[in-house]
Amino acid sequence: MARDSTFVVISPNGKRLLTLFFAIFLIILYLPTVLLILFSFNDSTVATFPLVGFTTKWYGLAIHSEEIRLSLLASLRVGLISAFIATLLALMAAYPLARRNVRGRPLISAMLLVPLVVPTVVLGVALLILFQKGAIPIGLGLESVMIGHVIIALPFALLILLPRIASIDKRLEEAAYDLGATGLQTFRIILLPLITPSIISAFLISFVFSIDEVVIASFLAGDQATYPVYLYSGLKFPEKTQTLIPVATVMIVLSFLFAIGAEMIRRYGDRRLQGR
Amino acid sequence: MAAAEPPLKRSRRETRNDGGSALSTYGLLAPTLLVLAAFFLLPLYYIFMFSVALRRFSPTEALASLNGELSGFTGELWSKLLGVGVTVKVPGLDVDVPLLLVAIVFVVLLVLAVTGSKLKDYGSWVVGVAFALLLVPFLTFPAGNNLVRVMELTSDGQYVRLFFKSVTMAMTSSVAAVLIAIPVAYFLAFCVERSKYTWLLIVIAPFLTSYLLRVFAWKVILGDQGLINSGLMAIGLVDQENPLTFLIYSQFTVIVVLTYAWVPFICLPIFLSFQTIDRRLLEAAMDLGATRMQAFRKISLPIIAPGIVAAFLFVFIPSIGEYITPTLVGGVNGTMYGQSLATQFVGGAFNWQFGSVMALFLLGVVLLLTFATSRFLRAGGGGI
Repeated sequence: MARDSTFVVISPNGKRLLTLFFAIFLIILYLPTVLLILFSFNDSTVATFPLVGFTTKWYGLAIHSEEIRLSLLASLRVGLISAFIATLLALMAAYPLARRNVRGRPLISAMLLVPLVVPTVVLGVALLILFQKGAIPIGLGLESVMIGHVIIALPFALLILLPRIASIDKRLEEAAYDLGATGLQTFRIILLPLITPSIISAFLISFVFSIDEVVIASFLAGDQATYPVYLYSGLKFPEKTQTLIPVATVMIVLSFLFAIGAEMIRRYGDRRLQGR
Repeated sequence: MAAAEPPLKRSRRETRNDGGSALSTYGLLAPTLLVLAAFFLLPLYYIFMFSVALRRFSPTEALASLNGELSGFTGELWSKLLGVGVTVKVPGLDVDVPLLLVAIVFVVLLVLAVTGSKLKDYGSWVVGVAFALLLVPFLTFPAGNNLVRVMELTSDGQYVRLFFKSVTMAMTSSVAAVLIAIPVAYFLAFCVERSKYTWLLIVIAPFLTSYLLRVFAWKVILGDQGLINSGLMAIGLVDQENPLTFLIYSQFTVIVVLTYAWVPFICLPIFLSFQTIDRRLLEAAMDLGATRMQAFRKISLPIIAPGIVAAFLFVFIPSIGEYITPTLVGGVNGTMYGQSLATQFVGGAFNWQFGSVMALFLLGVVLLLTFATSRFLRAGGGGI
């Protein structure tokens, strides 16, 4: 008797029920996003039901808003620079941790990963004290936000890069050394091409994190708002909200594309490694 | 040349750093560690100093700038936060105990929950009971317009009370998120045959979109004129004048939004732990006469348990200090500890020293929890 391959894990009725559950789950999961897209075209100043009429005027307003443009540029700058620094630092730390005998490895690993669990509000206020009253009095502004984002993005980037470097056959590098390559040459010619997809994916994750981060940014941005900070302050005032929705919609669609792009690059890297 | 070397020598060469000196090893690590020392450890040192320092300044200056002279150390602020009594409420019974005792009981339960499985007999019972006792005081069940508690911890100190409330809210949404994620992950792991990972990506993708906007969209769904209320009004279940107000600006809203926000993320670790189950084991169990439920309990559950605990912690740890969600959808009823903490720095209260005490307390709880459960976190996160 040919049994359904899922027979052992679930009864046919259970499977139907679970499929229904999954369908409802997906609908609820995407409902908020769909609603935002709907309201971005709704001809009303408040985002409430029933929908009034179709308009693209909010998009027009958003495009011409100087505040939105500046905050988006600020976010872009903070995101790109902090993602670059975080990826670079993570790469530099990941290499010795994956390849060399590092003394005190548990302590170093713990210190590198602990920012993952530190509540962002705690890191935010701690950096606020450091920048305003502490030994590094650079004050508030986009540079301060960048530093905060580097600290949080670092462990994410490390968690992507370290396992990848560790998974690459050590003998490839040893062969290069035996043939007389220097450390830097070996890295550039052997390792770098193999881990490029992971580097890109670490960069994208750090970037996506940074352009959506609001807690640290709201403590450290001072009067130079990043886009999430601008959005956050706008969401607290219902009358300002409607102009924010169009940009929000565009941002959501873009970050979907980013996420999918990062994942596809990561999988491409996996396939390429397996193909060897 | 290498072939001429005896094998022994070659293997010793391999164990030596392949081409890299200690200098380059630590040279590569140094920048990262320096950055962390300057912008992570140093700020934490500052909040520690702020939390225990006795400062001298005039009251007006104190508000404008906290640049007072350090003149000694004090535990006064700490005792203001922690030197309070706690009332344990179970239906029909109130017991007063000092906070310290409550803290010790929780640490002991946490240790039992983590290490209990190493006991020879009754190990799983110890773990189960310890986990249950850790969860029970913080679980809330929605019943009509109210949230019902089995056991409640409350305190005469307002910040400790607020902290318990935040833990309750975080705990409830973490448990809800896990309960939703398990069937989703089960479905993806076992029932989806083709393009499994694409479906997984579809489930996870919303997690990577703007958090603020997803919170905001829930306002549109749950608001007084939102999707649910206007829907119920349209079919006449709810009066036009009396929308269901508990839906927005309440603890309920914060719990719903936190659950929603984290479910996609934790589907991943739970899915991965389901993936490690060898289906042939289940087939063997059923061929030997086990029911599906028995097979699940005896084979699948022990395998996925660490992944589930990890998933729970992935939601719980960031939720305790949550600050954005309650500000946007919590209203007065749904205030959380993180907001009160932030108010000490940027809001009206402007008391950096007490804010530092609050921050360190939160950090201490989170770090204790992380280190106690690091075994699970590693199992679920595939970390270092």
